[in-house]
Amino acid sequence: MLKVIGALMVLLSCSLIGITIAKGFRERPKLLKSWEGALQHLETEIIYGAVPLMEALEQVSLRSEGEVAKFFDKVNHYLSTVPGITAAEAWADALEEWKHDSYLKDSDLEIIKTFGQSIGYSDRYDQEKHLNLAKIHLRQAGQEAAATAEKSVRPWNYLGILGGLLIVLILI
Amino acid sequence: MSLPFGSETTRATSTLVEQIGKWLAPDLRVKLQGLPKTMVDQLEEVRLRRQRPVALIGHHEEWFLTQEGLTKDTAKAPLLKDEDFHKTMQILTGSSLYAYEEELRRAYLTIPGGHRVGFCGRVLLESGQIRGMKEFSGLNIRLARDMSGLSQDLLPYIYDYSTDRPFHTLIVSPPRCGKTTLLRDLTRELSEGNSRWKIPGMNIAVVDERSEIAGSFMGVPQMRIGSRTDVLDACPKVEGMLMLLRSMGPQVIVTDEIGKKADFQAIEEVAYAGVKVVSTIHGYDLADIKARSQVAEFLEEGLFERIIVLNRKRGPGTIEGIYNAKGESLTNGKEVKIC
Repeated sequence: MLKVIGALMVLLSCSLIGITIAKGFRERPKLLKSWEGALQHLETEIIYGAVPLMEALEQVSLRSEGEVAKFFDKVNHYLSTVPGITAAEAWADALEEWKHDSYLKDSDLEIIKTFGQSIGYSDRYDQEKHLNLAKIHLRQAGQEAAATAEKSVRPWNYLGILGGLLIVLILI
Repeated sequence: MSLPFGSETTRATSTLVEQIGKWLAPDLRVKLQGLPKTMVDQLEEVRLRRQRPVALIGHHEEWFLTQEGLTKDTAKAPLLKDEDFHKTMQILTGSSLYAYEEELRRAYLTIPGGHRVGFCGRVLLESGQIRGMKEFSGLNIRLARDMSGLSQDLLPYIYDYSTDRPFHTLIVSPPRCGKTTLLRDLTRELSEGNSRWKIPGMNIAVVDERSEIAGSFMGVPQMRIGSRTDVLDACPKVEGMLMLLRSMGPQVIVTDEIGKKADFQAIEEVAYAGVKVVSTIHGYDLADIKARSQVAEFLEEGLFERIIVLNRKRGPGTIEGIYNAKGESLTNGKEVKIC
């Protein structure tokens, strides 16, 4: 009886590991897509609306969803509460905090970080350039992530269960 | 010669410095707030130039910021760090430089408190027109001071009791003698009315082309300019005066720094409509402005019934004389004190 419970627990935890890894692969392209959308919103606010950054960040936060909305909220929070902070610093600090619970890879985070360094500190033409560059990079990363997801989600799901079974068989 | 922080009563840091400090990089703010009170009281400008010492300009003195306090020797003053400069720029623009295109074209902006920040950098051109600025090299924060009541003794000279209106008045002054400050105070006094001189309050409209008189920030005048005062912000004078004439029905129109022929023509038109004008002009004395051909004909005509000449002999806002349209002195050597 004890053996059966043990075997089930091994199987269960291995499947969960597999599912979690697969979820990472599945969520990354979605998140990158939301990011792209958020920057698109930001562009609308900055380039066409010439809205002050704090207000623009708030708007983006309202119109984005999930984790991305939380990030923009965080930047805005730092910007409005820490005296003497610049937008680039607020962005970097928020990203440092936010990245722990995101499915993005370091290379994705780098795109976001690089964009943050230029935020708010140039005229519209220049901001537009930076925004477009970041959007292109995010789109490329998103396509790559989608392709990887297609290849990896199913194998990882199975790998977890099968790996669990293998361990159970060996141990029995 | 140097003056350390903390000498004299630094506790009494004026709210003015706190106001300005908010807009500076944290490192600079700390230093500014440690300034001796005597310095703060006479502070007129804070000048930041990249990789040059930070200059503080008082009424008669100029100081440079050091780690420990102030010095008069540029060689002893540390250079402004680029980081501090950029930070200050970002704080001033709320990290939204792109939203300040108009201000960048004009090379200045107004911050709450009505203070004026001017900046310098590399100008961007687009088909010959100035589009904006980047690669900023320096900025100058000019403190706007609210000097309530400094025009008290001046009022009876510029008020015409027979018509119950002020005279058409022109303030002549070289730069930094307090002409805008005086103009603002006159605006406030006329707008509120003055019981001492039995002057009733009247509707005043201000064309604030350079946002200096009212120091408007997001539509709200930052300076006290009176309860019966309307402000047309950032509007060119000539169009502005005529717009106000039609739209707001003022009894007095106030505008700053006239000089072009078109300005005087507009004032003439305003005068025909029975509205009084109070304005300022750059110049050292009566002879100086009369020497300018464009202006002379209007002065000869007696367009301005009162002319106040300022200088800086005893600090900003020393009145040299008050004249009528014929150029006769009304003060007869008597001293009219303001400030």
